[in-house]
Amino acid sequence: MIAYLVSVLTEGAIFGIMALGLNVIWGWSGDFDLAYYGYIAVGAYMTLVLTIGPAAPPAQYILGLSLPYPLAVVIAVGSAMAVSLVVGLIALRHLRGIYFSIVTLGAVYVMYVIAGQYVPLFDGYNGLSGLYDPMGDWFGLDFQSYQYFFLGLSLVMFVLVYLFMARVSGSRFGMALRTLREDERAAAAFGRDIYRLKLKGYVLGAGVGGFAGALFAGYLGAFNTSAWAPVEVIVLYAAVLVGGRGNIRGVALGVLIMGVLVQESTRFLPQLPGLNTMQYLDQHPQILLAVRGAVIGLILVLFLRFRPQGLLPERRFVDRQPAIEVAPRTT
Amino acid sequence: MSTPATTPALEVRGLTKHFGGVYAVEGCSFHAALGQVTGLIGPNGAGKSTAIDLISGFKLPDSGTVLFKGQKLEGLPPHRISRLGLIRTFQSPREWPGLTVLENVVMARWDASREGFLRGLVGLSRSQRARSAEELAGARAILDELGLADLRNERAGNLSGGQKRLVEFARIRMAEPELVILDEPMGGVNPVLGERMASAIEGFIAAGTSVIVVEHNLPFIERVTQQVIVMAQGTVIAEGPFESLRSNQDVIDAYLGEMVA
Repeated sequence: MIAYLVSVLTEGAIFGIMALGLNVIWGWSGDFDLAYYGYIAVGAYMTLVLTIGPAAPPAQYILGLSLPYPLAVVIAVGSAMAVSLVVGLIALRHLRGIYFSIVTLGAVYVMYVIAGQYVPLFDGYNGLSGLYDPMGDWFGLDFQSYQYFFLGLSLVMFVLVYLFMARVSGSRFGMALRTLREDERAAAAFGRDIYRLKLKGYVLGAGVGGFAGALFAGYLGAFNTSAWAPVEVIVLYAAVLVGGRGNIRGVALGVLIMGVLVQESTRFLPQLPGLNTMQYLDQHPQILLAVRGAVIGLILVLFLRFRPQGLLPERRFVDRQPAIEVAPRTT
Repeated sequence: MSTPATTPALEVRGLTKHFGGVYAVEGCSFHAALGQVTGLIGPNGAGKSTAIDLISGFKLPDSGTVLFKGQKLEGLPPHRISRLGLIRTFQSPREWPGLTVLENVVMARWDASREGFLRGLVGLSRSQRARSAEELAGARAILDELGLADLRNERAGNLSGGQKRLVEFARIRMAEPELVILDEPMGGVNPVLGERMASAIEGFIAAGTSVIVVEHNLPFIERVTQQVIVMAQGTVIAEGPFESLRSNQDVIDAYLGEMVA
């Protein structure tokens, strides 16, 4: 049970970092970016090829270095940002709204197909594995204590990313991103370089996604194309939407609800009274996966219909100066 | 009102733009002086809005030049033109609906040194914080002057059409451009608010912002402008103080006809 909780919390923390990165692009800049999971994947793949050493045939992949994990993470983040820059340069130039989403969907599909089909890159659909307990031997940790170590690491990283985002959120840079979301022609009329600013936000968000991917790779020790199946990805968008786009507290809450509670509670469905006697469920475990997808989809639809701003909507600066003091009249 | 100055702030020469076979603006030339309110009038389809888009960089002209304080504007993107001190508004108000009225006004001021990502991360310097505080106080004062102080914490999207126009005026006051082009500021505004807008335009001049105003409301044009440019079929057909245009046969034929008759 403890081991289970540790794994849920570790995944939750990493998932939270993913959601905070998506929030920059979707929540602040206002672009519904479907390529986002591609940057997580780039972060994960790159971390692996930089740490797991040369490929043993028949496996094949690029680089095959044995760098220290933290260095690999830094390069992985840079790689994710570089890929996002290329996609952003194309997709953000003129496309907005649904057209932007379609192009980013195309971009992530291209990334997916290349990762899967071009075997010499990341060993195709087999994916990569072999990253065992990164940094564990630095501290002489056994398997059991390593789980706690990585949980601690993930939680600390989540808190750091959260604080980083809180800082960006309240800055004029964060406000400028929001003016793009609210009305970008007006933003341009008041001096904002839309394209450049959107690109900055996009690459920043993708970098955070790449970082989460690098942590994910460290946690799982492996990564392959099945990790970015739509059913995995939609939870991420659901978390940001349910929590409240633009509000990092909301995003954290959304991760807790969608990424941890909903995700995990469906696991316990077979133990519900009445259901536990249904041998059918045991024989067809894929039903559980389907139920989970349906629950998440239903929650998404309900929120979009009844509370599109999410549970904790973006908070605005409230000026508390008493009205009389607002501007002492000189006349 | 103040005496009309003659320094040309904006000079437009031979501006031309066509969409397919339609010439929206054709050989349009005029200038607008600093320190005064210049009206731009003409029938629907005269090319006024296209001319504004061309001047402010939102559309690229086919040919012609635009000089602002002697600097060529054509080919520059909108944000560069805005940073040079020429800001335009739009025919329908373009507030940032999800931000509060006060935030709308504060963010109207663009400042590269405070808006960078790293600056946001590191935090503002002491002098930058002081400037931000000053601007916040300035924004409050502007909102108070325009009668919007009570609405300052309201999301701008919740305001009425007329109030949104005033928010747009407040943003211009905050941005302090040298020249502002107002595209039909009286659209959908009731007469009471119209009076407030007329005095707000006088406020622009007092604050050092020259004004070009596109408007169909002729009494308003007569009240606030010192100089009027009349456009029809993509080009300028007359220029002068509003009074002098009343007797201009071309202007009567193209636009004023029904009003004079």
